[in-house]
Amino acid sequence: MVAAATVGNRRLLVAVDPAAAQAGLAPGLTLGDARARQPDLIVCEADPAGDAAALTRLADWCGHYTPWTSTEGEDGIWLDLTGCVPLFPSEQVLAEDLLARLRQRGIACRAAIADTPGAAWALARFGAMPETGARVVPPGAARGALADLPVAALRLPPEITHELRRLGLRRIGTLYGLPRAPLTPRFGETVARRLDQALGLVEEPISPRRPVEPRLARRAFAEPIVAPEDLQRATKLLLEQLCKMLDREGLGARRLELCCYRVDYRVERVAIGTSRPSRDPTHLMRLFERQIETIAPELGIEIMQLRALEAEAMAPDQLGFDRADPCDPAAPLIDRLANRLGSANVQRLVPVASHVPERAMRAVPALVAPRALGSWPAGRPRPIRLLEYPDPIEVMALVPDDPPLNFRWRRMLHRVRHAEGPERIAAEWWLDPAAAGEDGTRDYYRVEDEAGRRFWLYRRGLYRAETVPRWFLHGFFP
Amino acid sequence: MPPAQVAYVELQVTSNFTFLEGASHAKELVETAAALGHTAIAVTDRNSLAGIVRAHQAAEEFGIRLVVGCRLDFQDRPSLLCFPTDRAAYGRLSSLLTEGKRRAPKGECHLRHADLATSVQGQILVMIPPDAPSPEFTEWVRKDAQTFGRSYFLAAQHLYRGDDVQRIAWLSAIAQGAGTRLVATNDVLYHLPARRALQDVLACIRLKCTIETAGLRLQAHAERHLKPAAEMARLFRRQPDALAAGVEIAERCRFNLKELKYEYPDEVPPDRTPQQELEIRLRAALEQRYGSDIPPGVTVQVDHELKLVEQRGYAAYFLTVHDIVSYARSRDILCQGRGSAANSAICYFLGITAVDPIKNGLLFERFISMARDEPPDIDVDFAHERREEVIQHIYAKYGRDRAGLAATVISYRMRSAVREVGKVMGLSVDAVAALNKSIWGWSTEALRDTQLAEIGLDPTEPRLARTLALAHELVGFPRHLSQHVGGFVITRGPLAEMVPVMNAAMEDRTNIEWDKDDLDAVGMLKIDVLGLGMLTCIDKAFVLAKQHHDHALTLASVPQDVREVYGMLQRADTVGVFQIESRAQMSMLPRLKPKMFYDLVIEVAIVRPGPIQGDMVHPYLRRREGKEKVDYVKPELEAVLSKTLGVPLFQEQAMKIAIIAAGFTPTEADELRRAMATFKRNGLIGSFETKFIEGMIRNGYPRDFAERCFSQIKGFSTYGFPESHAASFALLVYISAWLKWRYPDVFACALLNSQPMGFYAPAQIVRDAKDHGVEVRPVDVNHSAWDCTLEPAAGATKALRLGFREVKGFPEASAVKLVAARGAGYARPADLVRRAGLGRGALETLARADAFRSVGLDRRAALWAVKGMEEGDLPLFAALDGKLAEEPDVELPVMPIGEHVAEDYGTTGLSLKRHPLGLLRARMAARGIEPCRALSSIHDGRRTTVLRPGHHPAAAGHGERRRVRDARRRNRDRQYRRLVDRVRKIPSHGHDRTSPRRARAGAEGRARHPCRRRRADRSLGRTRPARRTAAADSGPRRRGAPSRP
Repeated sequence: MVAAATVGNRRLLVAVDPAAAQAGLAPGLTLGDARARQPDLIVCEADPAGDAAALTRLADWCGHYTPWTSTEGEDGIWLDLTGCVPLFPSEQVLAEDLLARLRQRGIACRAAIADTPGAAWALARFGAMPETGARVVPPGAARGALADLPVAALRLPPEITHELRRLGLRRIGTLYGLPRAPLTPRFGETVARRLDQALGLVEEPISPRRPVEPRLARRAFAEPIVAPEDLQRATKLLLEQLCKMLDREGLGARRLELCCYRVDYRVERVAIGTSRPSRDPTHLMRLFERQIETIAPELGIEIMQLRALEAEAMAPDQLGFDRADPCDPAAPLIDRLANRLGSANVQRLVPVASHVPERAMRAVPALVAPRALGSWPAGRPRPIRLLEYPDPIEVMALVPDDPPLNFRWRRMLHRVRHAEGPERIAAEWWLDPAAAGEDGTRDYYRVEDEAGRRFWLYRRGLYRAETVPRWFLHGFFP
Repeated sequence: MPPAQVAYVELQVTSNFTFLEGASHAKELVETAAALGHTAIAVTDRNSLAGIVRAHQAAEEFGIRLVVGCRLDFQDRPSLLCFPTDRAAYGRLSSLLTEGKRRAPKGECHLRHADLATSVQGQILVMIPPDAPSPEFTEWVRKDAQTFGRSYFLAAQHLYRGDDVQRIAWLSAIAQGAGTRLVATNDVLYHLPARRALQDVLACIRLKCTIETAGLRLQAHAERHLKPAAEMARLFRRQPDALAAGVEIAERCRFNLKELKYEYPDEVPPDRTPQQELEIRLRAALEQRYGSDIPPGVTVQVDHELKLVEQRGYAAYFLTVHDIVSYARSRDILCQGRGSAANSAICYFLGITAVDPIKNGLLFERFISMARDEPPDIDVDFAHERREEVIQHIYAKYGRDRAGLAATVISYRMRSAVREVGKVMGLSVDAVAALNKSIWGWSTEALRDTQLAEIGLDPTEPRLARTLALAHELVGFPRHLSQHVGGFVITRGPLAEMVPVMNAAMEDRTNIEWDKDDLDAVGMLKIDVLGLGMLTCIDKAFVLAKQHHDHALTLASVPQDVREVYGMLQRADTVGVFQIESRAQMSMLPRLKPKMFYDLVIEVAIVRPGPIQGDMVHPYLRRREGKEKVDYVKPELEAVLSKTLGVPLFQEQAMKIAIIAAGFTPTEADELRRAMATFKRNGLIGSFETKFIEGMIRNGYPRDFAERCFSQIKGFSTYGFPESHAASFALLVYISAWLKWRYPDVFACALLNSQPMGFYAPAQIVRDAKDHGVEVRPVDVNHSAWDCTLEPAAGATKALRLGFREVKGFPEASAVKLVAARGAGYARPADLVRRAGLGRGALETLARADAFRSVGLDRRAALWAVKGMEEGDLPLFAALDGKLAEEPDVELPVMPIGEHVAEDYGTTGLSLKRHPLGLLRARMAARGIEPCRALSSIHDGRRTTVLRPGHHPAAAGHGERRRVRDARRRNRDRQYRRLVDRVRKIPSHGHDRTSPRRARAGAEGRARHPCRRRRADRSLGRTRPARRTAAADSGPRRRGAPSRP
């Protein structure tokens, strides 16, 4: 099994499993060549973003051992163990413990512990490994341990490694004896620097991964609060605090969570969502009002914490310059309805690019509606109400494609006074091959009856002398 | 209801020459219009007349009149339909399009409404209304109507958007207000409603989206097809005049493409006709050759040809070709006619072709005949590196307004169709790749269900099935126009008045909109100016021979019938020789044993897919070896087939059999030939089958013989040579073989300097030169030029000094600077920077190629030195000799020879130091592996081990495409496997560390010999029983393997 990705316009392997590696496949090979060698290859799409996220999670998990962890490249993790080892009998035990846990999770891994990041990196990736897969270089022994490794273990760019090899400088050991002066004009200062870093002659800090700062406001009360109006006031203060933070970052909240820590060690949580990012405390407060009523303070609340679970970029507000409100006027209404009725229960229609009327829109929860709704195509009048199932009707019309003279719908006869059409719409052959062709084609007419009511009718199928045309009512115009 | 007999002419028709929009072939449209009873049909592609000839041919075929026209898309106005009423107006339209195309990049046409003013005379214009009404539009129509008067109309269509009645009423009002008339059209995109799906797919390809995401950009319905007149009358029942207006336009446009009278350019003195001029030039040529005593046979033939030429009026064409060839001669550009022109004595004596048709008994009627109304076709090959000079000469002499290249219509094949349609239909990249792999390269045939099952796809899956059905429909659709390789059209009057001329992708090239079939159809002549690498090589060889061996040569003065040359060919010692250097040819040579020129003609023609598929090779060989009686079945065929021992090998013979044995008329036979010549007409040849076989049976031939004959002829339908063409090529075969035999040093040098060409890479050419005793010297900064050169040497041959062209990544400009500044030589790498102004990158390239040996630095030392140099120009320090600060000496590890060899291959593609396998010999011997050469002396029946070449592609290292492909090809080679299966398999990664590729390449060279002959048998469609052991194969003994170091 291999993972492949499209690089430029070629399909390349980016990762191979052990069986594939055994068969001689390696990352960098084109997929075509790989298939030629292994016709029964299983190929899945590479997911670099997913890989990176997983690696980040793994690095965070390694926080068991040391607070200072960091990802390295696409498949490595740094752990700065300075001062952490005393928790374990020895470095060897620590490394083996780490590997054992990772292996339990099905991760193939190698680890090395050394004086410098450079040496550990070199050994973890290029060094000979004992059976456990963990190698510990005792302090001061790095120089000897590195001598036999290829120069690529110095974390050099491939071009430089290649050049060094051409000059016969294949092992790190061959670089030890070389005068430094001629190296720099030939390879830049990278070679010398990397060598020094690996040997511990220069310092190399590891910048640890820090979790992203959550956007939250927090308040602890000297005296636990119970009164609803206190809760309201505290919430308001928290909102103001948080909105200021969001404003600084140019963000607006889409989802907020309020946690109330009660004196009896229970946590009451309420959450709200907004249809568009907002950092207006008044608006957000209105959404919270009803929710706060559901909070049972019991013996009192010690701490309240407000977190923006989801925030989106939002342009700084420009208010009052123009009379026209740039915002969707429905937004506050949607927010209030959605927070009362549940976000899934308030929906709105967004256009879908399709000629077929019933496929031309899609209902989405109003709160999560994409910000760019798209526009409804102009010049094609569509009814304000479309029947989900078109109603069959009886129609009197001139063949082949004149508009109806009258029609009977639910036993009521409507005489047509004005009519427009036909608008011919064929079925989408790629979705519904059976309906494609003449029978799936509809001729739509906009008609107005004597009472001034306006309907959207259609005839199914193109006219044929031998069949009786079937007519349907599909919607109503205002 | 309107009366049944209404007339309607569809005037707005988009064929598939409006690429990725029109969804029907012109032929389908015309055929449907004829079936619907329309009296005429227009084809109006967007800014193009490219499909008009096809439409014209179809119109002739189906007996309907074609209204020639096009749709003019302007940059600043709505589009107009333009219909020329007569020849002059057509010329103006064509010129207008030319103007628009010449100012735009390839494939586009930039027109503005103002351009119309000069070309409007004699045109009928029809305005196409925009989607939405606008006051601007009303104003435009009013103004245009004033300017153009009675020739101006306004089109109206039923778009079925619900508002047709209002919209057409609005248009009608505009027309009335402007004093012009409405014309009914249906804006046709396809001939049948069923093509809607394909039209949607085409739109998606154009918009680069999938069918799911195309949305409103697709048509909402399938109404844009050709409709019956009665239906159109019903739709326009409120505007009955709109139909009549269309018919009136069609009536007024009487221009027919047949009126395009092609006129040959004639560059003759004013007091002579072209025919007289041709006769004068011919007489002069004959006198020069024979003096006053011209052989009677020659006179008879020449007179016969002249008579035919006069009757057909082709004299000017011959003169034009003669002028071009004379120009090339005057500039010392080697050239030689190929193809059917070699059948003509006129061409031979004028020096256009080099094969004497009288001596070789070639048939003039294959070239021009009274029976065929088809212009002759003269193809001339020029030395490929100098062909551009000839092309620019033609442009200069006749002017861009009179000369242009023919177009080639690039059409969808199955593979490209599946790729594009698959993308639109949302198939996964991998599924499309899998599909594509199972389609043979140029195939136009659909995939069978079993094939789909083989690659793990379910043929009944609806989406896949629909994709394949649509792809199948798309096959044959034109995709874009490209320039023909060298087919020139030259006219007497302005070319742009015959056909629109457009810019080609290459700078300084223009090509016309029609391809060679279109040109044939309108009777326009083209001259093929082709490039041939071997002519460049021979040209260079002649120069070198003069320079270094003081032997002046021309194509005609190379000594003929030299026995030793044929001896060399019989040994298959033909690396680099024109045409017969491929492995298949090499395997044929020792069996065919060419002894004379005509044998080479056969050799060239026989190892072709056509004769091989037609199973003609083995009968011929058996008969040649006397193992089989030559049998003509009936004596009448003896005259046709005696030269090739009763086996038809050439197109001419197939034609003659059709005439003599199957009772075809010469015209039918020629149609058969045309069907044979172009594989894209694959479908056509089948229709001749019954006729041919039945004809032969009627004439008393046994059925199985007739069927065999036809299957042989069918073989040609893929690839076959006319005899004259084979003869022209055979001449180059002989000349290149002679050069190789007489001056191997000169030949190798010329061949290297003409790369890329031919079958072999520089490594093989150099190796072959060494095998022939030529000393080869490596690239060196103090000795090499850009090209390979010859240097004085001790032996009979000169030494070959490789040039910088062999160094990968070293540009010619740098080489020129290097040579110019060399003076007395370079003493250190820094001199190259200072004197020749080369950059450090160029020097590193040279160092890697080990070109500093004469300075006393090997590649590693040179690289170290070069890398240490300061980047950039330091003029102040340049005066100082050497570096400012002395560096400490560095002791670099010595580079092992194996690495040197590997680096040699990496930088120059060859190594003169050691053979890669030579380095491994001891190791292999230690493992008990025998060299292939030893196979001939090992006892029969003993188990032994030889190296299996290309054992595993993985051994080739990191997926370099070419290598893997080679490996695949080798793996396919069953002969190989058979050899190997009989011996123990040895993985070849053993020597990976040094140079996997080279080791394998070398091993292959070695291992190939014993089985080469047998492999060739396979490729020729014959299998021999497997022998018991590899050692039993006596191939190499008989053939004498070339010596190796």
